[in-house]
Amino acid sequence: MSSKVSRRQFLSYTLMGVGGFMASAMLMPMVRFAVDPVLQPKGEGEFIPTPQKADDLTETPVRVDFTIKDRKDAWYKSDVSNTAWVYKEGDTIIALSPVCKHLGCTVNWEGDEKHKNEFFCPCHNGRYEKNGKNIPGTPPLGPLDEFMVEVVDGYVNLGKTVPNTLV
Amino acid sequence: MNWTGKDMDIYLLQKEYIDTLVIPLVKVETKMDNMKTSASSTEFVMLLASLIETQFKGRMMFAPPFSYTSSTDLQSMADTTLQDFSDTTFKHVFFLTTDHAWLSQKMPGQVIWLPSIPLESMDAPLRQSILEDQLRQVLPKFTEGWSAL
Repeated sequence: MSSKVSRRQFLSYTLMGVGGFMASAMLMPMVRFAVDPVLQPKGEGEFIPTPQKADDLTETPVRVDFTIKDRKDAWYKSDVSNTAWVYKEGDTIIALSPVCKHLGCTVNWEGDEKHKNEFFCPCHNGRYEKNGKNIPGTPPLGPLDEFMVEVVDGYVNLGKTVPNTLV
Repeated sequence: MNWTGKDMDIYLLQKEYIDTLVIPLVKVETKMDNMKTSASSTEFVMLLASLIETQFKGRMMFAPPFSYTSSTDLQSMADTTLQDFSDTTFKHVFFLTTDHAWLSQKMPGQVIWLPSIPLESMDAPLRQSILEDQLRQVLPKFTEGWSAL
């Protein structure tokens, strides 16, 4: 008798099996929806690799060009080229945004022969100290923004810009 | 600054700083043989214009490009359409073009002419460095114009 399955047993197993499938079919998507935010890849705050080696940096700011690949602006995808002025202060790497705080021109390191050791904006002779501090008496009203910096495998990676923390 | 609503708002607030207007002039060839060169030089002028724009955003306003075909009488275009720009609030008006015919016209502003370079077959970094070289070439012409007045 023990090797035989009775009609009653067979029916209850079948019902449990089918019921279990149905329950899991309902519950699985719910669980997936609940944990979904954790599984999302982070879009913002990403670091973008640059061709600049961290060891090659000195105390003199150098221009580092990098490209944000496939930036999505609504449905429009594009590569955006970006630039930073990068130098070393002791052991920390500092990356400044080249966008002038006056009207958005591009500033250059020692762009004017008369003012060494400063960032210079060619539009209206705006000047900044090496740490990005705007020099009073010139048009800019605030210090240059900073990029978030990370070193990955010896190369400088740059994140989003934040207000200057050095001044 | 570009000729967009948002940038124009900034211009209207900051007129005393943004004192330069740059107008790209592009020749659109209609003959099959010249269409390729015309397209390629238009591309060159517009890419260069956008590079100059990012560098000098706070001082230059870029007008939409003005286009013309081979039957256009350049002098009469200069005397009518382009003449209107001399009455604007901009202190300096520059025309950016690869068509040397403009150099021999009497113009209501300074013509910045440069030879066209076909960029279409170059990869992005090379194109960028060529454009930056060209920018360095034209830069003295702008600064000369600025210091002249």
